[in-house]
Amino acid sequence: MNDIDQLNQLDDDGFRAAVREWVQQNYPAELRNPAKRLHWRDNKAWYFRLAEHGWLAPGWPREYGGMGLSASKQLIMVDEYERHGVCRTNDHGIVMLGPLLIQYGTEEQKQRFLPNILTGAHVWCQGYSEPNSGSDLASLATSAVLEGQEWVLNGQKTWTTLANDANWIFVLARTDKTVKKQEGISFFLVPMDAPGITVRPIINLDMHDEFCEVFFDDVRIPAENLVGAVNQGWTMAKALLGFERVMIGSPKQSAYALSRLRVLAQRMGVWEDAVFQERYTRFRLDLADHTALYEVYLDLLRRGEMPGADASMLKLNQSELLQRITDAMMEVAAEDAGLLEPLDGNRELNPSGLFLQARPVTIYGGSSEIQRSILAKNVLDLPG
Amino acid sequence: MSLTQDRLEQVRMVRDSVAAVAPAGGDLRRIRALRFTTPGFDRETWKIMCDMGWPGLRVSEEDGGAGFGVSESSAVAEELGKALVPEPLLAAAFAARLLSGAALERQLSGEQLVLPAWQERAGAIEPGEATQWHDGTVSGRKMFIPMASGADAFVVVLADGLALVQADAPGVTLRCDATQDGGHYGTLTLDGAKAERIAAPPGAVAEALDEATLATAAMLLGVMERAFELSLDYLRTRKQFGKPIGSFQSLQHRSADLKIQVALTRASVEAAAASLDAGVDARVRQAVVSRAKARAADAAMRITREAIQLHGGIGYTDEADVGLYLRKAMVLANQHGTAAAHRLRYAEMMPEEES
Repeated sequence: MNDIDQLNQLDDDGFRAAVREWVQQNYPAELRNPAKRLHWRDNKAWYFRLAEHGWLAPGWPREYGGMGLSASKQLIMVDEYERHGVCRTNDHGIVMLGPLLIQYGTEEQKQRFLPNILTGAHVWCQGYSEPNSGSDLASLATSAVLEGQEWVLNGQKTWTTLANDANWIFVLARTDKTVKKQEGISFFLVPMDAPGITVRPIINLDMHDEFCEVFFDDVRIPAENLVGAVNQGWTMAKALLGFERVMIGSPKQSAYALSRLRVLAQRMGVWEDAVFQERYTRFRLDLADHTALYEVYLDLLRRGEMPGADASMLKLNQSELLQRITDAMMEVAAEDAGLLEPLDGNRELNPSGLFLQARPVTIYGGSSEIQRSILAKNVLDLPG
Repeated sequence: MSLTQDRLEQVRMVRDSVAAVAPAGGDLRRIRALRFTTPGFDRETWKIMCDMGWPGLRVSEEDGGAGFGVSESSAVAEELGKALVPEPLLAAAFAARLLSGAALERQLSGEQLVLPAWQERAGAIEPGEATQWHDGTVSGRKMFIPMASGADAFVVVLADGLALVQADAPGVTLRCDATQDGGHYGTLTLDGAKAERIAAPPGAVAEALDEATLATAAMLLGVMERAFELSLDYLRTRKQFGKPIGSFQSLQHRSADLKIQVALTRASVEAAAASLDAGVDARVRQAVVSRAKARAADAAMRITREAIQLHGGIGYTDEADVGLYLRKAMVLANQHGTAAAHRLRYAEMMPEEES
């Protein structure tokens, strides 16, 4: 029996201890709590370390080279990584595409793509949002037309995370304009070196190029690069959202920001101030209650149930709490809040960076306004 | 610290049993009829609640109680909050934790109603300690005893123990001030009132007080949930400008925010109950109870206040039920400690986890 089968047999506490120990021994110290989302050139060493150890794909079944972990153990792993300040890798292949191919792909597609994700030969990005289809994603206009044995793609994607690192992109494109918008979308696998693809990085407010625009100009791909049936793309992409819906509401981002607020307040000499303490305690309570709510949904996942639309409460609440905490950082940091670089040369003392990085959190993955409308209509049953 | 499936089933059964005193469909006629009367609740209904075993939910089976956990007692308190039940269960259950022998038996059967007299100033979360024992009598002043005019006796918290004082004993004066929810607070003045010492194990008062505080938070959860439901019903049916007002985005988004407050309160209260059931130490117990009460108080005030706004003009009438929930929240939000007091205690008690 190999190591991964043994890990699967440990109880949760034993598993947590094993993950913690391995991460402490193997995660590169210089990558802990990076100030910005890392590019492939910086995170690939960790990606390869995970790959070599067989830990790259915790949720994939064993037969496809994953760890085959239970939901409960996957959550422990995420928790331990976050606790240690482990960076995200270029993980779209592992988190998004892999599970989709395993569920909907042909045997050939699985054989062709899954091993390349596990070796890091294929680095994936996700082509969903478009300039005119943000919150209303299903209105997307990038088109795919079948000509003989080839699909021809035209259009533009945007907010494509780390497209400048990727050599493959999975794309939602319109294949039928005559039906309800959700029912005319298909899912394609496209090599980034295909003629007609142009990538243009977007510099964000944090002066970082983690998002890109991707242009498709008569890009031709073979018919076998369609995943699932024609016009099934939206359904497939949505079906895998349950786990994500919960993960995106993890309290860890706010917990990290709050720990930074504490350090900042100590540095600025306001830590003992009663007014500050009152505000800080409110954040602690907000975070503790958010964590309790998050736990309710984790329990659901552990029991093998899929959370419904009400899970959008988590993302909404967490993102706004994060912003309240980073708002406080701006005030506490005084003039230093306006500095471009982290304070004292310490990347973990970066109030203006955290404040800016908290901006898109209420915009991506369904803006706060969209989340509220989803809650009102799908959970509270208020009229359209 | 989540509960097992069996345990969840037990909590559900106890919760469902509250239907015995809460009419289906949220009928509040009985509650309205009892408002601003003396003693403000119905002894017959109290007897039913005793027959259901509720004052003794947290009393061990060998002492004649149900031996249930805090998760069960919270569920009952929440359901009573939804139905605005005025019978003083939370206070009576608190007193039951401090009684023993024949007095406990009479309390659990409903034959005698003993209420706790622990508080000596507004806003307190710790028992007052100025009430003195002297030679078979007690002297001092205890405040904010809910539904005190219906009590047969009081269990009085002293600096160094407990005393039982009959309501009709010489030297006992009770003044009652009506509260917004239709009940009242009693101020008990004890001037050499004849009393008997009662024994309680060390720490029993603090533990029972924390549980009563958490039960108050649970009751607030029920209050806010029902006020929110009433508001959603109204948003779905009330029409203006030719459509249901619930179709307007500003009201939808406001409702979504209130839903999150309800969900956070439930998560906080249930997590605190599970922690107490898991036997956490006194510091953590105080911290999680304070956290739940702070959340419940703020959320209940916000939700019931906004419920009036969502109802518009009708919400400002005594005839609309939603106002009863606001006025219940106005009383309960500050009972067993204000949100501010509990935030302070949380900060003192809960060590920060270093990340």
